[in-house]
Amino acid sequence: MSEAVQAKAPVLSVEGLSIALPEGGDRPFAVENVSFEVKPNEVVCLVGESGSGKSMIAHAVLSLLPKSVNIAAGAVTVAGQDPAKLDRQALRRLRGGEAAMIFQEPLSSLNPLKRVGRQIEEMILTHQKPMPSAIEVHERVQQLLTQVGLPNPKLLEKSYPFELSGGQRQRVMIAMAMANRPALLVADEPTTALDVTTQRQILRLIDDLRRDRGMGVLLITHDFGVVADVADRVVVLRHGKVVEQGTVEEVLRSPKADYTRELIDAVPKARLDEIRRTAVHPTPLLEVIGLEKTFRVKRGLLQPPREVVAADGISLTLYEGETLAVVGESGSGKSTLGRMIMRLTEPDGGAIRFNGQDLRQLRGEALRQARKQLQIVFQDPFASLDPRQKVGDAIARGPMAFGTSRTEAMEQARKLLVRVGLNAVAADRYPHEFSGGQRQRICIARALALKPRVLIADEAVSALDVSVQAQVLALLAELRQEMKLAMIFITHDLRIAAEIADRVIVLQKGRIVEEGATADVFTAAQAAYTRELLDAIPGRDFFDQPGFASVTGALSTARMSS
Amino acid sequence: MDAVRAFLRHPSGMVGLVVLLVVVVIALIAPIVFPVSPWEMVSAPFTPPGEDGLLLGGDTLGRDVAAGVAYGARVSLVIGIASAMAAMVIGVTIGAISGYFGGKVDLVLMRVTELFQTIPAFVLAILLVATFNPSLLTIILTIGAVSWPPLARLTRAEFLRLRNREFVEAALCQGEGTLQIVLGHILPNAISPILVVTSLTVATAILLESALSFMGLGDPNLMSWGFMIGAGRTVIRNAWWMSVFPGLAILITVLAINLFGEGLSDVLNPRVSRRRS
Repeated sequence: MSEAVQAKAPVLSVEGLSIALPEGGDRPFAVENVSFEVKPNEVVCLVGESGSGKSMIAHAVLSLLPKSVNIAAGAVTVAGQDPAKLDRQALRRLRGGEAAMIFQEPLSSLNPLKRVGRQIEEMILTHQKPMPSAIEVHERVQQLLTQVGLPNPKLLEKSYPFELSGGQRQRVMIAMAMANRPALLVADEPTTALDVTTQRQILRLIDDLRRDRGMGVLLITHDFGVVADVADRVVVLRHGKVVEQGTVEEVLRSPKADYTRELIDAVPKARLDEIRRTAVHPTPLLEVIGLEKTFRVKRGLLQPPREVVAADGISLTLYEGETLAVVGESGSGKSTLGRMIMRLTEPDGGAIRFNGQDLRQLRGEALRQARKQLQIVFQDPFASLDPRQKVGDAIARGPMAFGTSRTEAMEQARKLLVRVGLNAVAADRYPHEFSGGQRQRICIARALALKPRVLIADEAVSALDVSVQAQVLALLAELRQEMKLAMIFITHDLRIAAEIADRVIVLQKGRIVEEGATADVFTAAQAAYTRELLDAIPGRDFFDQPGFASVTGALSTARMSS
Repeated sequence: MDAVRAFLRHPSGMVGLVVLLVVVVIALIAPIVFPVSPWEMVSAPFTPPGEDGLLLGGDTLGRDVAAGVAYGARVSLVIGIASAMAAMVIGVTIGAISGYFGGKVDLVLMRVTELFQTIPAFVLAILLVATFNPSLLTIILTIGAVSWPPLARLTRAEFLRLRNREFVEAALCQGEGTLQIVLGHILPNAISPILVVTSLTVATAILLESALSFMGLGDPNLMSWGFMIGAGRTVIRNAWWMSVFPGLAILITVLAINLFGEGLSDVLNPRVSRRRS
């Protein structure tokens, strides 16, 4: 946040922008009368839930709007030009020249068939006139790759996108965006698809580059943690209208609009002082002993297969009625662990004890009976419901497979739908008629229809908006009490783990690096890796300034009294 | 219902459907319009079209070509549809087993499929028909037996795609049995492309049957388009109508089915139908 910026002319100004949706949509305008500015060397965050129109604005900035929608009123000015009024030549010079954009999913924004070095070169060659020599271009590519913090640029420029990790791909995207020293960078949810630690690195990179070059950044996000970390100013959007805008301090410390306050409150903040300690019965319900799993990925004919260790001697115990969070980055094996317990992925070694039986020895009917007591809620609410099956059937199928009559099962399904906060008539509708949050409620109802004793939630709220996330978490917490469920909550988001779990297990590359009561792990992490994860929580400094101090106090008293 | 409505708005698909319906109607009313058997001699041999009350002329033995074309439509449609169904049953069963179970089962079944794919379909069909007595049933089974491999491969690919989807895994966790999962969850989600390919198989089946009849390997009791072309081909230079009219009938019917199939494919493929609407 620099002071010298104030006087300079804005690199982006949006004035009274309204974007009309095609007729028959759920509202006439995607965006209505939106005005804001981005000055050089300034990060402006556009915040809102899905459907708030924030991506529409980003697309309007580079004139990338789909044909069916058009700008109804207002204007966008990027470095003195209105992209909507430019001819194709001038627009090409603007895109990737004056203004560059990075997208959410780096894999689908890179050409899978071209080496990444070539793709960056292309970016330079289309814009630099006169055309620089091959050697110059090559040097520039090397320089860019180094700048975005990629190790070994020589090797990297010859790689294909699929050979890189998500974070590396996003760095390549940023290198491409930086290739022509843009005055404005538009970043549309650039870290949503990434891990916490990678997210932190990418945000820091964007911030550093912005400082070095004095460019303006328009960052679109739904995460107030990210906002707190990087933004200078914030624009809060709801249903296409600006609800509130101002500096970070103003908006986050003393929000004026109720909606902003709601959104901020919905952010899971690892409020350890509020952790309820449920009475945990010391009866072990599920025991995992020395679980092993290695995935072998075949490469070329002569190359040895690549080995990915997903579980390296994982042992854990789940007690009755407790919630155990399993946290780690992607590739740490946390989802595989859940899938192995459900027997959806076959472990290489070890044992899973449940109800005195080893689940791994069970076959056929015995496995079916055991699975009834263990249920799973998957991450993607869009992929985990059969698109051709009515919601009621989806829930009733389970009990029916175990001999409940159809009428009774449907009756029960309707009750469950009401219990998870939906209408009973939802039973006769198809999944595509519901939003992501509603679908996840349906998935929870489906999992609970069999009255399980253990519920595995595999990133069950990661695909949802913050406010919806909070509601679903609250529902899970209620149901847990009501049905005396033991829960394994798999997540990459430590804030959520802190909010819901009694105990936490931290996984890294298939090994448990830390295990303990939630409060202990969050306040006195033993492993360096856990501390790294904790530091990477977006907005931690901001949200926890008063919080963490009191937590430590509350905990020490709690420990003394127990 | 959305698919039906989208299809009604699909121009070439509708053309195909209308033409196909005309062919079906002709097949249905053949015995009413032509009460005399197409095998009966009704005029002098080599009657040109339009003369002697014969709209499309008479053949070398004085049989009515128009009656032959109308009765031939019944044979072609019955054989086309029935053998495509046979191919679908074989192909979907093998593809489903292969795709769902994977591993060694998949390996063996796919090698068998490849065996069928490497032998030219027509040569195999001739061999099979020549071995058994040519009759309606054996011809249907023969054509079915040589047309299933593409359907098996398609079904296998769809099953591979869907088998590890989360909703299938959820059904597994819900305690549903294998058959229930396959028939209730995977097949309904894979059915669109299978239906499209099956409809196109009808067209190739009609062509195969015509080719077999042309070679004289058809059911000798059935008046079919291929047989008519085969019988008329020797005199095509002085009596063109004997082969041209059944030939046109094949062309139009196959074209109509292909148009219909492509229309179906566009409508059932959500990406295309959404772009249209």
